[in-house]
Amino acid sequence: MNAKSLIKRNYKKHPEIDFPDYKSSIFRAPKNRKISFPSSNTEIIGPIFNKNIIGKLDNDLTLNFSRNKISPLGHKIIVYGTVSDQFTNPIEGALIEIWQANAAGKYLHNNDENPAPIDPNFAGCGRCLTSSTGYYEFLTIQPGPYPYPNRGIEWRPMHIHFSIFGKSFGQRLITQMYFEGDPLIKLCPMLNSIGNEKAKNSLIGVLDTSRSNTQNLLAYKFDIVLRGIKQTYFENRKEGL
Amino acid sequence: METIKAKLDETPFQTAGPFLHIGCMPNAVKINKIYQNDLGEIPFKDKQENELITIEGSVFDGNGVALDDVMIETWQCDEKGKFNADSGFARLIPNNITKKFTLKTIKPGSYKGFDRKTHSPHLSLSISARGLNMTLNTRVYFEDDELKNDPLLSIISLDNVNSLIAKKIRKNSYLFDIFLQGDRETIFLDI
Repeated sequence: MNAKSLIKRNYKKHPEIDFPDYKSSIFRAPKNRKISFPSSNTEIIGPIFNKNIIGKLDNDLTLNFSRNKISPLGHKIIVYGTVSDQFTNPIEGALIEIWQANAAGKYLHNNDENPAPIDPNFAGCGRCLTSSTGYYEFLTIQPGPYPYPNRGIEWRPMHIHFSIFGKSFGQRLITQMYFEGDPLIKLCPMLNSIGNEKAKNSLIGVLDTSRSNTQNLLAYKFDIVLRGIKQTYFENRKEGL
Repeated sequence: METIKAKLDETPFQTAGPFLHIGCMPNAVKINKIYQNDLGEIPFKDKQENELITIEGSVFDGNGVALDDVMIETWQCDEKGKFNADSGFARLIPNNITKKFTLKTIKPGSYKGFDRKTHSPHLSLSISARGLNMTLNTRVYFEDDELKNDPLLSIISLDNVNSLIAKKIRKNSYLFDIFLQGDRETIFLDI
């Protein structure tokens, strides 16, 4: 019988859950060890999202909330890349949802206490499905950095939040993309909760100068890797054979 | 036997932060003109009220405070134990006054897995919020089901295995509270 299982997560290349430098984790991070178990159908089969949920402007954050096609403030960027699995296979139909602050570093959200202006033409919300080559792109504006309460006031580096579904609930990933060259990156406790340098660097979008120089926007490349799923074979032979 | 080795590392997690609703459930935070519906509003379409069960509960932090800035995602098979590509997924946020989340769904069936074992009815949950550097995973089982032989429950010998089992509170209604920390810390899973 054919079965599938997810490649085990390497927690050394993920953030520490209990990381007091990020103050919000103190009363929220579980203390006990997680229980591991073999992948079952629940973790492997779906959900998969249909093309018909995606609207024409869903991946264009410069237009999907604008009134009378007025551009949001800030400079335009393209964020693009591919979604693949750990075996380098591109994942088609992966759902990527993003959210971000506006150019002034303000989110369109009641709980954002940052005293910066909202932009009436920008919500900071977008989504798309990857193509047959795993490719995605978003047209948006450069999010600003912003202050937030942590150990006193600290500043978040510029970033975009990413939520990704591949083909399996066990591939589910939520992360953030940072921007190459941002001096706030090295001060960020959320990013520094990842101990492994290479893993940390993989979250930094890389400026694509050739693409930026041919269009009126800056292009950043951010590739995403979801867990691999391997085939396993249960013994079908009878005893003694 | 595994023959292919992974070539790439999985992209690391980062916290979903306090504003995850903007990207995942914009209509729930009054960003109404971008998506017609929020993803996962209804896990199964075209079901009658009398076919549905309710699962409700709160997510408590280490101070015993019920959170309202958390997002819970649920994934399940249908009543026959079959996983469908386009149904069975739901997203929930707690009500900001009662601090309770409420899922109306069909009760999942048991299924025979590709391990050939029978898996008791359950839902898989993912929990994302500010303060969680990685999304947490757990499962909901139901106290009125046969649970003895479930492949996951049978490998957990901990006292708090009950944290994975929803209590029946009324006809077709179950309570499932989630404790991030403390004496009653929920069992979280490395899925």
